[in-house]
Amino acid sequence: MNLPAPDGNIALTVISESILTTKKVRLRPLQESDLAHFQRWLADDELRRWLGSVIEQPSVAEEYDWYVSRRQDPDTILWSIEDADGTLLGNVELRLSPLNRRAAVGIGIFDRGEWGKGYGTEAMGLVLDYAFGELKLNRVELATDEDNARAIRSYEKCGFVREGLLREHRQIDGRPSDSVAMAILRSDWEAR
Amino acid sequence: MTVTDDIRLEGELVLLRPRVDEDLELFSRWHGNPDVRHWLHMSEMPEQTLEIERQRWHIARNDPTRASFVIETLDGVPIGNILLIGIDALHRRAELGIAIGEKGDWGRGYGTDAIRVVLRYAFEVLKLRRVELITDADNERGIRSYEKCGFVREGVLRAKRLRYGEPLDMIIMAVLRED
Repeated sequence: MNLPAPDGNIALTVISESILTTKKVRLRPLQESDLAHFQRWLADDELRRWLGSVIEQPSVAEEYDWYVSRRQDPDTILWSIEDADGTLLGNVELRLSPLNRRAAVGIGIFDRGEWGKGYGTEAMGLVLDYAFGELKLNRVELATDEDNARAIRSYEKCGFVREGLLREHRQIDGRPSDSVAMAILRSDWEAR
Repeated sequence: MTVTDDIRLEGELVLLRPRVDEDLELFSRWHGNPDVRHWLHMSEMPEQTLEIERQRWHIARNDPTRASFVIETLDGVPIGNILLIGIDALHRRAELGIAIGEKGDWGRGYGTDAIRVVLRYAFEVLKLRRVELITDADNERGIRSYEKCGFVREGVLRAKRLRYGEPLDMIIMAVLRED
């Protein structure tokens, strides 16, 4: 097995410019001009509740700081998600742990008018093909709210398996909330 | 949330003090022991020279989401380290890491005592609600110690890390404030 060097980030930085497409969705590097859209969508209480890490709608400046911090992190790959016509829908990020050949994934369809149409599932499928096919990872993992049934169904469709229940993993509106830990292994992906 | 220099946390068998720059050689020696590295992510890293150890500490030392302590016996001999990482004020949780670097001191209850002390700090001072950890699924000694401290198994994370290049399952455990 070829191990990436712990500091082997140059290749990843180049790779992060990759554009991934199906008939239905397109993943492209996130652009500064996307930020105003994300910031506006984050006024939605329900969206922020499911994202779990954003308490209040960020200011434009805060959204820009978030973008810069992600760009500067050599182990983060961030794409914007568009539909086939190029309309922005949300974003997806891979946070790599090269030493252990794994990544954590976070995805959001921010435009709630587009929820339930399969865009997230399709975008996640592209990211997994990329993570296992191009980056040769062993494992992609995530944690999501136990009561986020729509997301869990989507992740299961992509091949994610529940691995555990994380008690009081998050505070949502000041109350503790359990999360489900899920992951897909290279072997799950190959058997899909 | 970095710990202040003068903080001292006292247990029945150990004293915890904040890690300082001068501890580098100590850590380098501990992490140079293959039996210690075996259970840590360091199993996949190059040999921990003093310079590599310095670079790692340089990044970690000012990270506000870390609280890093050296474990000493009651007569002041440093034997290992314990730390909270990813201290998350929003979700009121953190991850625990511990290593007894002096192999001759394994199995004497120092680690268990140090964990109890840090949990008290995490819940009472930092006001966290959840402290979690991940450990190799075959780390029976560690798991037994964590269970003594109130940690509960929450799941098995398949192929969570590599050990000597081979995928290895890890257990995720957590203790809640009310536990």
